Amino acid sequence: MLAVSAATLFFTPASVHAAGTVAGTDIVNVAQATFDGPSGGPPVTIDSNIVTIKVDELLDVTVVSSDPGDVATSPGLTAQATTYQVTNTGNGSEAFTLSADTAKPGDEFDTTFEQIILDTNGNGVYDPGVDTIYSPGTNDPVLAPDESITVFILSTIPAAATDADRAEIELSAVANTGSGTPGDIFAGQGDGGGDAVVGSTGASDEDSGFFLIQSAEVTLVKSATVLDPFGGTEPVPGAVIRYQLVATTTGTGSLTNLAITDDIPADTTYKAGSITLEGAALTDAPADADAGGFDGSAIAVSLGTVPGGQTRTITFQVTID
Amino acid sequence: MLKRLFLAIALIVPGTAMAANNVSLSSDVFIERKVAKPNGTTALVLEQPKTVIPGDNLVFVVKYKNVGRAPASDFSVTNPLPKAVAFNGTSDGTEIVSVDGGKTWGPLSALTYARENGETRPALMTDVTHVKWKFDRALSVGSEGKLIFRGTVK
Repeated sequence: MLAVSAATLFFTPASVHAAGTVAGTDIVNVAQATFDGPSGGPPVTIDSNIVTIKVDELLDVTVVSSDPGDVATSPGLTAQATTYQVTNTGNGSEAFTLSADTAKPGDEFDTTFEQIILDTNGNGVYDPGVDTIYSPGTNDPVLAPDESITVFILSTIPAAATDADRAEIELSAVANTGSGTPGDIFAGQGDGGGDAVVGSTGASDEDSGFFLIQSAEVTLVKSATVLDPFGGTEPVPGAVIRYQLVATTTGTGSLTNLAITDDIPADTTYKAGSITLEGAALTDAPADADAGGFDGSAIAVSLGTVPGGQTRTITFQVTID
Repeated sequence: MLKRLFLAIALIVPGTAMAANNVSLSSDVFIERKVAKPNGTTALVLEQPKTVIPGDNLVFVVKYKNVGRAPASDFSVTNPLPKAVAFNGTSDGTEIVSVDGGKTWGPLSALTYARENGETRPALMTDVTHVKWKFDRALSVGSEGKLIFRGTVK
């Protein structure tokens, strides 16, 4: 029972509004005394003097990366976004200056900084042309106590970045009224007319998001086996050549819309209906639902999206003219 | 003595019948601040603040004195907590409190707090809306004292 009540007590402060009493609020205290009136009259109540204390502005801010994990990207892409949440954890309305650092040490590559974007429509997703480009000192976001804003940093990924490399991208936010050591006072500059006091965050915070390069490559290996009309392997007219194409993907990313095409060699004739993928026969019609096709001069097989680390084997046959 | 009585009336309770007013009551609010001393230790000092910040610890001191010519019977002192202050206990533990704006009273451990959905739970210090001290004997002429409770700026 004791443990239960102790736990309850610890929980209590959390129920208090995170930012605390709004800056500029007056705390007004009056005590009252009551006692019996003279000669059995009605009770008398008297008030004490009034003590009024103003609540100062506490300058506090938090920055938290709000990407669910590393942001997957590929070399050479532009307008790649990392996402952050900036929250005014102070108790007054406050403007914050934002800055981005794309050149953090200790990661594998640096991106090229493009812009900081404010999530104007509040949907948590970067919308080009809709969300506002941030310009320090011009449109510093003003946040009410406990209010948050989503901020994006846009980066260009260098073409030289290689698969599985990571880049750290940091967003900083600093209270415009001032920052520094907790307890520092900016006299008379508080929201609501009191002082502004630097809170436990130092009125400045930063957090990092990460890009992760996920690229993939494909290699093709082609081989041929010949079967002549006499049961041998001589490439004579009438012999059938069976070509095998093995596509191998590598890397941590995926290849989308991977398609394999191969021209039918001169002086040979494609053997109708001979395309196979992973051992299963495909039709020759190029436009049907099936992945295979022959257009009169080349075979084509659409493999769709193939993750790194897989193989696809295609075969087809031609007859030597 | 009479002059002082008039002064008290003028300052504190304009409108109250003069004959009945024989108790003076004053309220002071102090803030606990940690001050670094030259020898490296920190001292807790009480200051009378003009401004505070959320999280500051306040000490409320209510002084009373029977300045009349007759004992005051059924004497009690009540301090409604300012909205921005969370109750943090008294120094003597003899108080009763209310968690519903002064409707029901008792020791904190005997009270329950009604949630918005109608459920109740044991009352917590942060639920307290009023603090009250009831004196079981009359306040004799000239006797005085002070009542102290603590609070935290929400």
